[in-house]
Amino acid sequence: MSPTASEVLDMPGLRTRALRRALLALAAAAILTLPFWAPGDYFLKVAILALTFAVLSTSLNLVFGFAGLLSFAQVGFWGMGAYASALCAVDLDLSPWLSIAAGGLASALAAVVIGAPALRVSRASFVIVTLSFTLVLALVSRSWLELTRGPLGIPGLPSLDLSLPGIGTLSGQDPSVFYFFALGLAAFAVGLVWRLTACPMGRVLLAINQNEPLARSQGIDATRYQLFAFVVSGLLTGMAGGLYVFHLTIVDPTIFDTYYTEMLLIIVILGGPGNLWAVLAASLLFTAIPELLRVGSEYRLVLFGAVLVASALAFPRGLGGWLEQRRFDRWRRESRR
Amino acid sequence: MTGVASSALRIEGLVKSFAGVRAVDDLSIEIEAGRITGLIGPNGSGKSTTIDCITGFSHPDAGRVILGGQDITGLPAHRVALAGMTRTFQNVRVYERLSVLENLLVAAHELRRFGWWTLFRGGAAATEAEEHLRRRAHELLDLVSLSRLAQAPAGILSYGQRKLVALGMSLMSAPKIIILDEPLAGVNPTIINMISRTVADLNARGQTFLIVEHNMDFIMKHCDRVVVLDSGRLLAEGPAEVVREDERVLAAYLGGKKPAEVVHAGIA
Repeated sequence: MSPTASEVLDMPGLRTRALRRALLALAAAAILTLPFWAPGDYFLKVAILALTFAVLSTSLNLVFGFAGLLSFAQVGFWGMGAYASALCAVDLDLSPWLSIAAGGLASALAAVVIGAPALRVSRASFVIVTLSFTLVLALVSRSWLELTRGPLGIPGLPSLDLSLPGIGTLSGQDPSVFYFFALGLAAFAVGLVWRLTACPMGRVLLAINQNEPLARSQGIDATRYQLFAFVVSGLLTGMAGGLYVFHLTIVDPTIFDTYYTEMLLIIVILGGPGNLWAVLAASLLFTAIPELLRVGSEYRLVLFGAVLVASALAFPRGLGGWLEQRRFDRWRRESRR
Repeated sequence: MTGVASSALRIEGLVKSFAGVRAVDDLSIEIEAGRITGLIGPNGSGKSTTIDCITGFSHPDAGRVILGGQDITGLPAHRVALAGMTRTFQNVRVYERLSVLENLLVAAHELRRFGWWTLFRGGAAATEAEEHLRRRAHELLDLVSLSRLAQAPAGILSYGQRKLVALGMSLMSAPKIIILDEPLAGVNPTIINMISRTVADLNARGQTFLIVEHNMDFIMKHCDRVVVLDSGRLLAEGPAEVVREDERVLAAYLGGKKPAEVVHAGIA
């Protein structure tokens, strides 16, 4: 209305935008140069774990936050990618890089096989089928000795090396090199999901999530879109599992630990389903901070439980939901003028 | 004008039962192209079940549904929509977390025809189609006076504004026929006028409508033909002014003081 009113509104807006840009640039610089200032290998290993969780939680966010499917198969994809990748490298003598791709493809294929029938029935059946999938895989990893070597796992995975002409060979045994491998996969995964959700398809996925009957009445084949999101998440999660075992140099049945399921759900719920950047921030925060504070694993889950309850009370829809609520409130005020 | 080609939608012998109760009982209706057809009847007379059955939200037990010559009986909802019949819902539905503009864009079919890879890559054809759809969406928002709120999340809209968005969405894909399920229920007079005017405007340009509505002023003023249901059966059909005088209709629905009223009141 009056120029003063718009000035009052614009000034803080400008300042936060500039501030946000500066913070983002700073964060990007810190992430790109981390191995050069990291205080030690332990710090780097935490960073590698955090980047791995960034891939896992972004994949779950695509399935749960965007496509609206509560999937418990993510840890199954993760473990399946890990085992497929390790077996390809050890038993089939494939190059580690090809093994990682094979791990991703195996999980993507599994997503088609379990997703296609489970999505035909209902969202409740989808939850049960995906949970069973992960539980069965965990059982197979412990019991099918001929294939998986059982509880002892598959040790002695080859080093993940990258030969660059003119520079020489970078060895993945060096955590500061592996950090960049993990960063590469995280950038690929986040970039892919960002692109998918920013294009018209992302709109359609959100629409299905918010009101499936309405979407169907508009000619949207909800099942196909949901299956697609599920398969992409299987691919990325499987690749993350395949990459991570070369960091551990061993894969064993603890890869299916419920710890991963809990962490993933906490990250996506606290980040705010359907908000790519909020979930990404939450994944870096929740994996890095407890490790760096060196909280014992038994206390860690208690701590997470407390954080989860507290934020369920304060931010019932996560950080992303809280930000969205503020956007809604702003529009409500605007529309009343 | 050939008489035969004017049928936009034909329903033949539609039957749907729930736990032994025949909600729709051997119903046959013909919807003429370019006209506004009203579907009325007391609560529980089978209007919503009929709409669910012809739009793929419910599977009919028997009967056929033919949309412009194409048999669409039993097709899933999204295939019915792609065949050219869109609907709104009695309890208005919008995508609350998407902006008003995005609500309309999602409802359009054209862009999705390009397939996932093109959408992902954003090819020239897809970009052009998106631009075209944005223009179309803005035109429709102008039509229902919501341009000001194009970027607002649909979750902040009032009930009446949501009905306008739902109407806009149903128009995005240029359907052969639009089914509006109680578009005026629970809406203030300003928006009633706006919806009525929009429907009349579009109809003047040749759009076919099937409208379920309890607002008799609207039905009498805008509908070319009225179909009356009672207990899942066709009670009467014809021009609005004829149906209005039909004794059975008055008895069953409009509450006229006719002998048959006693019988129907007993059933209800």
